[in-house]
This record gives sequence, C-alpha cells and structure tokens, in this order.
Amino acid sequence: MIKRVEVNYRGIFQKSLGKYLGSDIVMIASRMGKVAFSNGRYSDSPERNGIPCKYFAFVAEDLSEEELEAECGAKLDIDEADVSVVVDDTMVKGVEPWGWHGVRPINEKVHEKGCLLVITRHQPEDLLKFIAKKPYPYRLATLEGDASLAGMWVFKDDLTRERVLGAIAAVDPGIISIEAVEAYLLDKTKDARRAGAAREAYEATLRRVRLVKPGEGINWSHPVPVLPKWHEFEDTGIAVPAVPRGFKLGPRGQGRNDRFKRGTTKTHRPVIRFDLCIECTLCWLECPDGCFDPTEDGLYDVNYEVCVGCHKCAEVCPEPECIVMVDELRFENDRSPWEHWVRDPQGYIRWAEEKKGKERVHFPVVTGTGREVREGTYVPPKLSGAETPA
Amino acid sequence: MKQTETDTAVLDQRLAAWDRKELLNGCQAVAQGVRLADVDVISAYPIRPYTEVMDALSKLIADGKLDAEYIIADSEHSQFEIVKHASSVGARAFAGSSGTGWMYGFEALVVTATDRLPPLFLVGNRALDDPGAFGVEHNDAMALRDMGWLLCWATTAQEALEHVLIGYRVAEDSRVRMPMALAMDGAFLTHSQHMVQVPTEEAVARFLPRYDLGPRRLHPDNPISIAPQVNEDWVMELRRQNWEAARRAKGVIVQAYQEFNEIFGERYATPFFSEFMTDDAETVLIGVGAVAMPARTAVRRLREQGRKVGYIGLRWFRPFPTEELRECLSRFRAVGVLDRNFAHGSPDCGGIVLHDVRSCLYPLASRPAVVNFIGGLGGRDISIADCTRMLEITGKAAERAGDEETVTWIGLRE
Ligand code: SF4
Ligand code: SF4
Repeated sequence: MIKRVEVNYRGIFQKSLGKYLGSDIVMIASRMGKVAFSNGRYSDSPERNGIPCKYFAFVAEDLSEEELEAECGAKLDIDEADVSVVVDDTMVKGVEPWGWHGVRPINEKVHEKGCLLVITRHQPEDLLKFIAKKPYPYRLATLEGDASLAGMWVFKDDLTRERVLGAIAAVDPGIISIEAVEAYLLDKTKDARRAGAAREAYEATLRRVRLVKPGEGINWSHPVPVLPKWHEFEDTGIAVPAVPRGFKLGPRGQGRNDRFKRGTTKTHRPVIRFDLCIECTLCWLECPDGCFDPTEDGLYDVNYEVCVGCHKCAEVCPEPECIVMVDELRFENDRSPWEHWVRDPQGYIRWAEEKKGKERVHFPVVTGTGREVREGTYVPPKLSGAETPA
Repeated sequence: MKQTETDTAVLDQRLAAWDRKELLNGCQAVAQGVRLADVDVISAYPIRPYTEVMDALSKLIADGKLDAEYIIADSEHSQFEIVKHASSVGARAFAGSSGTGWMYGFEALVVTATDRLPPLFLVGNRALDDPGAFGVEHNDAMALRDMGWLLCWATTAQEALEHVLIGYRVAEDSRVRMPMALAMDGAFLTHSQHMVQVPTEEAVARFLPRYDLGPRRLHPDNPISIAPQVNEDWVMELRRQNWEAARRAKGVIVQAYQEFNEIFGERYATPFFSEFMTDDAETVLIGVGAVAMPARTAVRRLREQGRKVGYIGLRWFRPFPTEELRECLSRFRAVGVLDRNFAHGSPDCGGIVLHDVRSCLYPLASRPAVVNFIGGLGGRDISIADCTRMLEITGKAAERAGDEETVTWIGLRE
C-alpha cells in the first residue's frame, strides 16, 4: 500500500520548509525500512510570492522503489492524499496555483480515511467555514502555530519543521512513527530540543483530531475549468483575450484579468481606515498588482479578489494605522470596503478596528528572520460632519 | 559454486567502491557526479530545470567540497563558449541547460563538436517555447542528433550520477573526443528526491583517467591555433574524421561499461539500452527516459496475466546502437516506439526515435511490425494505464491486419 503526503505551502516563502518536510519523511521512512521518495508539483514553479504550491512524499512498505515511482513519480499531482498538510492556514480558503486550474478546495485530495492537518491558531469549526463539503467523513487535525513564512530561498528555523513531523506521526503512524521521527532528529541534529518539539506536537495533535462529518463544510462555488480538446480551439495557438481597456471611478472600476485573480495568494489583507486617509495616492501607485480603485470622493478602494497580500500598501502608507495588514481568515467575503464605508462610516470604522485587533504583523526587510509583532495604537475616528450619519 | 578467494577480493573491492547513500534529486545527483569527476571549469546560466544543477554545484564549491572555476555567463551562448574554450586548454569542463536556453546556445554547441572537444553538458529536458511550459519534452536534446555529439539519457538519479563519469570517460577518450550531452527528464527525474548511492573518490579515480588532450592542448608551452578558415579544401576530410569518431565511440562505450561494472559491480547488463522482461516477449515497447518506470510496471502487470510483453529503454541515441538494436528487435513480432518529442512533417509525421528505429530494422529480411506513439509532450504525464494501452495497440499491430495506425497520440485531449 502506498501512503501519500502532500504539503501545501506558499511559494517562495515556505519553499524550503515544503522541500525539507518531503526529504525528512523520505529519510525517516527509509530508516524504518520502507521505500520512499519525494517530489514537488513541478508546474508550480517558478513559485511566485505566496502562490499555493505542493510538495509530496510517497511511502510504501511492500513495493519496490521502481513500482512506487511508477505509481507516483510520473504524475504531476496526486489523486488522493492520506495526509494533506497545510503550513499556512489561510490556504483553507482554497488554492489557485495557475490560471488553468481554478480555485480548488484545500481538502480536495483528502480521502475517506485521510487527514487534513492544518497549522493554525483558529478552531476547527472556524476553518470549516471555508472548507468544501465532502461526501464522506475525514479527519481534521490542528497544530497550534503561525504560518512560518521566510523570504526568498530562505528557511526559517523555528521548529515548524520538527513539529509538523511529529504531527504527521500522530495522524498517520503508518507513514512515520514518532519514535522514528525523534531518533532521526536526534541523530541528525544532536539537539534534544528538536526531538522534543516533535514529541510535544505529536502529543498535542493526538488530542486535536476532529472527525468531519459528510456534508460538513461549505458548498464550493468555484468551478474547475474544463480545458478544450485539441480540435476545439483555434489552431494558431493559445490566445488569451486581453483585459478590456478602460477605467471608471469606483469599486472594480479598473480593467482586470478575470481569469486568474490570484486572491488565494494572500496570508494577510489590508484593512483601510478611510477616515485617516490623506489621499496621497501612494497605495494606488505602489501596489504591484493594481488592486486600488480610485473613487469619486478622492479615496482608494481595494479589490480583495486580486490582492495578493504583499504588504506593500501598508508599508508605503504614510498615515499611522491607516492601512493595516490583517489575518486573511478573519474575512468571509471580498466585498468592497469603500462601499461599506460610504454606507455607514461609523459602523465601518468599528468593523475595521475589530478586524485589526491589537497585533500588527510586519515582515522585516532581512528575510528569513521571521515576523515581528507589535502592538497597534488606536486612532479615534476623524469624521467630518458629512460622514456622520444623521 | 564455491566462492574462491579471488572472487571475494573482487566483491570486497566493489563494495568499497561505494561511499554512502544520500537523498538527492536528479540535479543534485549530477552535481555529485561532477564533483567526483573533479571537474575544473563550470559555466552557468540559469534555466529551469537545469538551474538546480548549477545551484547544487555552487553549493558544493561554497562548502569546500569541489575545487573548480565557476563562471556565470551572460547567456547560454557564452556559457557554452566558455566551456568549449576551457576544454581546449585541457580543463575538464561542465555546463548545461534546458529547452529554449539550450537552443539559444546552439551555434556554440555545434562548434564544440566540430572542434572535437569533450566537455559534458547536462540537458534537463524541457518543452520548447512558445507557449511557455516547464515540463519535459525531448526535442531540445534531440536537436543535437546530427551534430557529432554523444547523446544519452539517464533513467534514474543513480544512473545520472554514474553517467557523468561514464560520459567523461567516453567523450575524452582519444579515439572519440566528442562533446557529451547527458539528458534527463525535467521534473520527473531532475526534481524528484531519491536515495542515491555515491561512489568513493578512489573508485572513481580508478575508472576515470585524467583528461589529456595531448598535442591538441592550447597552452603557452604549446602555442597552436585551432579552427582556422579552411573552406572547401578541408571540410570533407574533417567531417569524415567526425564520422569515424562516432563509429569508434561505440567500441569505447562498450569498454567503458565493462570497466564500470568491474569496479562498481554488475550495474549494466547492456551498454546502449536496457531490456526488461524481453526474453520470450512477442511485443515490446521502446522508449527514452523516465517513462521506463510506468512502462516497466505495466509490463510486469501484463506478464502476471500471461502476456508476452517487454520494455526496452533506449539509453544511447548517439551513437545509435544500430546492429545491437537490430538484433534485439528482430526477436519480436511487434515494436511500439514511444516518442516524447515531435518531428512534424517527417515520414508518417512520426517521432524522432521512430525514424531511427525503423531505419535500423530495414535490412532485416523479416521485420517486426512497427508502430509509433507520441506522448508526454510538454510534461503531460504518461501513466501505467497509458503504457498498458500502448502495449495492447502494439500487440494488435503484430497481426498486421492492415488497419493499424502508424502514429497514435497518447494522453491527448481528443
Ligand atoms: S497587499 Fe496592498 S499592495 Fe499588496 S497586493 Fe494587496 S493591495 Fe496591493
Ligand atoms: S497610502 Fe494611505 S494615505 Fe495615501 S492614499 Fe493610500 S490609504 Fe490614503
């Protein structure tokens, strides 16, 4: 029998983490006398910042390496997973690696006895508000932690790697056992702390496995594109219709590519306090993905469907607390924040502050050094008379 | 039979030829081969999937495990020129590329062969743009087939490592002196991590002699000028020398595998292609590269149902093993040729391998039926089920009902 593990990670920021997890599983399984190998979903690369990608590990006890490779190595994706690991919980909202694939549910590959293992600080019930229903029961395990995001090609050594290995051993000991994980980490690193982190995550995960019932979750609204047969499109090559030119003021007013929105790329999204905006234009100018829509009142609405969560607008905005990056899982839709603001300025400010919470997350310029969390300051509303509802 | 003391000594020596097992992907395995070959000059310019080889090599150098000049070029063309020149001064040289990058440097590749210099190049097979695609397709490496190169495919990361050593050994032999292209399927082989056995430096030193260009070495102590303008006065004779070298290369290859087996254990039963379950086979599939994995598994499963099928993995495409393959294929009733490449407008619009296989069979009085499959282009996967289907179509062709298609596309949306 073949065991298949997929690691869903964010391109570039977690590339090393994904690859190391694949290698570790192979090394540990080999030490247990099993046959194993690992590869990545190759077409995901070159991985662009934040793009959902996959790394795989395949383990078998009763197959030759060649048979294992024939079954798993010559394929670009897997049909089903025993464990789908998610190392950034915001990917539970769906993943869109390429324009040709559509937005796919994070549990798409998890089979009936399989397990979706998410690193998160959210409750399983909160995650299930975003995850597609399945017709059969499966397990959802959560391991407490943050998305370990490093910079380009850099690995952030914060014990996430060791903890995920421990958690995999907890949800499917048929892949790797916790004893083998510990022995491997001790041999490799001579650092008892690392083996200890794996053991601790193992114990914690054992207590945090939840059965997801058939039909639990949401109706998946994103269609999977059906690609045409060879004789069903022009025989002069692929031509993608251009984004219509044009621009009008207001939400969604700028021409954009509707075929590949890339919104599943983000871990954080910008929340804007329109009352603090000094209309300096910087967010609109600097956003690499052109996500800001100028509005007739001189403000800049943001289109969350296309925002990739790069943090740039928040970095360039000169006004303290005006643009703040917030955990993507706190949002259930991509509606225009500006429309909300115009409808109900005070309500909007309350909503924005509630979403922002207290913590402000920054990623230092020197990549790989991890993230910085500071305390935010509350700035009272600056409402002119016109914005105060009667 | 009782083992003699000499047998034991030989076995001990073979065991000692292997150092350790490491988890390596195909690209890293090639880099280990380059380290063991003690290459002097490396020139690099990135393109996926080859990039991972240059990354692995720069890391080996940074870690102090390999002492080599590492020159980053401004394009593939310069990259290939750099290794050509390095090779002409007597340095063992390495470069590589993929897909359109490889094609961009083509002029430099052609002159490396006509200058009879033996650097080794890794071709991480990649589809030719446009439109952009990263996946494997063999046309990049196949473009060399008429250019006086040695061209060979590795099927596993282990074979990739070993063929860096075999490649230099054959290419640098004074009877050959041809550049060597070692090709490897992008993604399925270049980027898949496996446990690979790494040989010891001592064993490699026994197998791979120093690179010695003799009187052709460009050096201040040996001032010569190579590749002057010759016009119609010399070209025919030079081409004939290339021709002879390509013919002589076959004998050198056979000898290289023999010695490789002696030092490292019986790793290769046959040098030019591998045969799998062909003994009493009636129908075989012949293919190139990593497709061997699903193909052999399909064969094994059909065998369990009593079907007489086999698989042949063609390793060396240049020099083409004409007599060897002719003799081998003459044993079967039907041969299915799987091409992971295209040759649009060629005879029957078949793939490149088809033409060479059919042509080598022509002198036989009684030839097997030959059909062709085109599949796996641009990285499309070829599954075990696809391989089963190809074997079944090939089996039907043996009956020569007259209605068989010469070329069938596999894995196409149709
Ligand atoms: S985070 Fe800001 S700058 Fe970056 S894509 Fe989103 S809106 Fe644009
Ligand atoms: S950068 Fe900040 S202040 Fe400037 S326009 Fe954008 S939201 Fe307003």
